[in-house]
Amino acid sequence: MNREEDTVSDAVMGTHVPDMMEESPFAIPSKKLAMWLFIMADVMTFAAFLAAYTFTRNATPNWPRPFHGIASIAVMTFIMLTSCLTMLIGLRAAKMGDKAGAFRWTMVTAIAGIVFALLHIREWILMIDQGVGLFHNPWGTAAFGASYYVITGFSLLHISVGSVALMIVGFRYNGGRCNADDLEVMNLYWQFVDLVWLFIVPAVYMMNLAR
Amino acid sequence: MTTAESPGIGKYVAVYLCLVVITALQFVIGYQKIEGGQMAVRMLTFGVIQTILVVVFLMNLSVENRALIKFISYFMLFVLAAMNWIWTDSFRLLLFRLTKTGPS
Repeated sequence: MNREEDTVSDAVMGTHVPDMMEESPFAIPSKKLAMWLFIMADVMTFAAFLAAYTFTRNATPNWPRPFHGIASIAVMTFIMLTSCLTMLIGLRAAKMGDKAGAFRWTMVTAIAGIVFALLHIREWILMIDQGVGLFHNPWGTAAFGASYYVITGFSLLHISVGSVALMIVGFRYNGGRCNADDLEVMNLYWQFVDLVWLFIVPAVYMMNLAR
Repeated sequence: MTTAESPGIGKYVAVYLCLVVITALQFVIGYQKIEGGQMAVRMLTFGVIQTILVVVFLMNLSVENRALIKFISYFMLFVLAAMNWIWTDSFRLLLFRLTKTGPS
């Protein structure tokens, strides 16, 4: 066997595997890097939505201001903010080896996400009852309904998917098939969707309060 | 695989309370009768502060690799800066609609 054949044989047998592997970019784990890249892509998506919304809102005289009170939005925001804290408590418990605590707080976070989603759907039903659709509403500018449902709907989708993912990761963690690092990746996602909501509330609700 | 150290819970609670207070302030401003442009600037300022708090402390970016911090920061700043191309054109469109003038 010559030297070239020997190298190929070693590679096939796995004896030279460390030479064949590249270092993780930015010296962080691949799962975490993937989540950061996803978040960066999602920032562009939400930025595009909000830019399109602010463009339309600013360029349209007599933009509707239909929200008379946003107490329910305040409650939803408080739930989201608190769920961020519970997520971090769960993550910390996982890093300290407190498996039961990590599972419990992850489930609390997921339930908070589900409650938020239900309240959000209730908001949508109230808007639909007022006659707000994608292409029509009682107050004039048709773009209002489209922008409202698209922006809040995309956020709702993220939070709903996140809640389900949290439950799956939580149960897998409890069963020993996921570890604290998976919860850390989920924490990145959850903090991001909360941050997006903190931008949606002023842009969509507070700037459109009835005067 | 964990790269970020886990800080004490007190730090998280402090950041959480800051976020709650800032959000409450946003709601107070939202109910005030102030001009739309001024309100937008105030809301955006609070939004930037909230973003810094969440990304640095809750997403633990501050304890990550320096190259990753630079990569994410430059990218995000570029995206946020690129969003601002809309303003001039939206004001132009508003003017056309209000004065009924402009290209036919």
